[in-house]
Amino acid sequence: MIFEGLHILELGAGAAGPVATRYFAEHGARVIRVESAKRPDFLRAIFMTQDSPFGLDGSPMYVLLNPNKECVSLNLQTAEGISLVKRLVEWADVVCENFAPGVMQKWGLDAESLRRIKPDLIVASGCLFGQTGPQRSYPGFGGQGSAIAGFNHLTGWPDREPHGPYGTITDSLSPRYVAVAVAAALFQRRRTGEGSSIDLSQIESGVYSLSELIVRQSALGRSVTRAGNKSEFMAPHAIYPCAGDDRWIAIAVEDDDQWRALVLEMGDPDWAAALSERDRFADPDSLDARIAEWTRSQDAALLAERLQGAGVPAGPVQNFQDLLDDPQLAHRGHWVPLRHVNLGELPFGRSGFRLSGDDGALRTPGPNLGEHNREVLGGVLGLSEEEVARLVDDEVVS
Amino acid sequence: MIGPLDGIRVLDASDESGALAGKILGDLGADVVHVEPPGGDLRARRGPFLGDVPDPERSLAWLALHTSQRGITLDASRAEGRDLWKRLVARADVVLETARPGVLDAAGVGFEAARAENPRLVWCSVTPFGSTGPRADWLGTDLVVVAMGGNASVTGDPDRPPVRCTLPTAYYHAAPEAVLGILMALLSREDSGRGGHVDLSLQECQLQTLLGGAGQYARNRRLYQRTGGKLGRTREIWPARDGWVTFGLRGGAARIKNLVATVQYMDECGMAPAWLKAYDWSAYNHNEIDDTEIARFEEAFGAFFAGRPMRELYREALERRILLAPCNDAREILEHEQLRDRKLFVTLEYPELGASIEHPDFFAKMEPRGVALRRCAPRIGEHNAEVYGELGVGDAERERLAGEGVL
Repeated sequence: MIFEGLHILELGAGAAGPVATRYFAEHGARVIRVESAKRPDFLRAIFMTQDSPFGLDGSPMYVLLNPNKECVSLNLQTAEGISLVKRLVEWADVVCENFAPGVMQKWGLDAESLRRIKPDLIVASGCLFGQTGPQRSYPGFGGQGSAIAGFNHLTGWPDREPHGPYGTITDSLSPRYVAVAVAAALFQRRRTGEGSSIDLSQIESGVYSLSELIVRQSALGRSVTRAGNKSEFMAPHAIYPCAGDDRWIAIAVEDDDQWRALVLEMGDPDWAAALSERDRFADPDSLDARIAEWTRSQDAALLAERLQGAGVPAGPVQNFQDLLDDPQLAHRGHWVPLRHVNLGELPFGRSGFRLSGDDGALRTPGPNLGEHNREVLGGVLGLSEEEVARLVDDEVVS
Repeated sequence: MIGPLDGIRVLDASDESGALAGKILGDLGADVVHVEPPGGDLRARRGPFLGDVPDPERSLAWLALHTSQRGITLDASRAEGRDLWKRLVARADVVLETARPGVLDAAGVGFEAARAENPRLVWCSVTPFGSTGPRADWLGTDLVVVAMGGNASVTGDPDRPPVRCTLPTAYYHAAPEAVLGILMALLSREDSGRGGHVDLSLQECQLQTLLGGAGQYARNRRLYQRTGGKLGRTREIWPARDGWVTFGLRGGAARIKNLVATVQYMDECGMAPAWLKAYDWSAYNHNEIDDTEIARFEEAFGAFFAGRPMRELYREALERRILLAPCNDAREILEHEQLRDRKLFVTLEYPELGASIEHPDFFAKMEPRGVALRRCAPRIGEHNAEVYGELGVGDAERERLAGEGVL
């Protein structure tokens, strides 16, 4: 696999950090996460209650976002813990972290110090606001990131409050950019031998994606706001009710040919024949109400299939069960069942692309806390069992 | 600044679904040549237009998404156009395209033909559902992909249809993944000497916005319901006096400190009810509080936020380390002090259009070689002379081809 032999050391938490290294782990890199019981990744506790039987080793979200990775538990409140991390840095090609700015500095593990240990190291920092600036220490999460970057304002109905797309979007968007920056730095290192420091702000990578929003505002003094499912360029363009409980179909008509195809599928009703393209854009609400009358009694998946057959972009709104049953995702081998010691079998999702000649693989679920202490401390650092036992007694390994 | 992809030649024939990927490659330093049909790609060069003057050269979507590229025109459906395409492909490192699966191969201009000529070529196909499979032929726009990728089912109000983000987040998620796949193939080529195919599915990229949601569902078999401005049981989006803010009642050590700080702030403003001031946070767990308690919290916090402007709430949040943030619109993003301090925005000059426009400049600060906008988006066929010249097409021949509608 492409990243066979690549070593990544990861310090951080949540989704935004770990999702970035997941791509590399999927394609053969050895990724070692440093955590500790004193400071576990908060995703290990996110849905925890007093009754959670497996404590920090039973969080499905953590387990699903961290496949193929190893975990060593080192207490960074001890000098020895920090010096062990520095030894792991010598082993690493890439260090990824997403703590608040200053945390790595406090431990002497900031990019500058680490690249003194190893000049061709790639250090990627991916916190909310970046490493500089007056608000860098603001302790926000993805919920705040999505709001500040503009995604909440853009999602929802114009007559109601903003929502933000499900899943705190900067948490899913920014790690893709961290991965791109790391891969670009690896490519550069390969050609020039240089290491890199990467200072990525989760919010800024979101705003960069929204370049159209910013450019329109700057050029015109006005820009995009949330519009339900309406499009400035397509009509009809909406999500319509179908038969059953919470069943819907998305239909997006890009041009007149697709509109005529849709009209024929609807049985060529008089009201539709009378509508010009201008009419469709002038009163999309009435148009949507008419189409909804037609979709309401139909099965979403069957109707989508029929419309696609006629050349109309359409698709059922798939819930999580539908995703697990989706034949196209099955064809791509998207879901990989892996068994976790406490949670049993869970479906793990592949990333969004396949590479010819190197398909990557998901092999192990996200690690339990300290699950790989032996492999990392003994195997990578060469510590004896006695030394490791002493470190456990001294709460360095903890 | 020299970027990490300096010297990599990209031929970009993508539509809107791949536009951001082409932009990222250019901003990383690659030499991206964007191919449009003669007369320009009018769908990508859509409105609104600079000065509200309908003109494909003034399309703001185009100007935003095609920075750091050169632009040429080519009609690849003509025999001579096909020949020029093949010559461009023969000297490219990367092709980025968004055609329906099979269409380019059928015309003899797809990856199969190209790799015979240029075994080092990396070819990235961005399609709604992937290059093969039972739904590979399905048409998909952002809305269709967001619906089929699972996100729509859980976004929106419970009493209305599922809803999408008004700008195309399916394309935004796919773009960096496409670039990542291309970079992986380029890295692999350094060892093997061979290129390869990056087969991207917009739907599959979109699935990852769920952050493991479908996998968690497989375990508990509880479908998440749309909850509007709430996240699970508790409110996340709150009305302020002049807009909306995000603020969570969710617990955990870091977050409880922020709830305590909020109550302190409310108290200083005379807005903390006695029961809230006396509340014992030591045992607080948002997973375990009941609906009555949630309602009491929401009433107290909601009344406080509703009476104050977003800007003031955020200023205090920064001061007091409260997890509250404004739901910014475009103007507010451009004015955000932190983003300006980091110089996220750069002003590009458009002398032909008589305009200066601010753009986000980078997605990360990288040392020693970085990401930055290198040039304005190209005008239609702006670099025909340059790029075809590099192929050895002389001025007279180029003018003939242009006259015959091939360019």
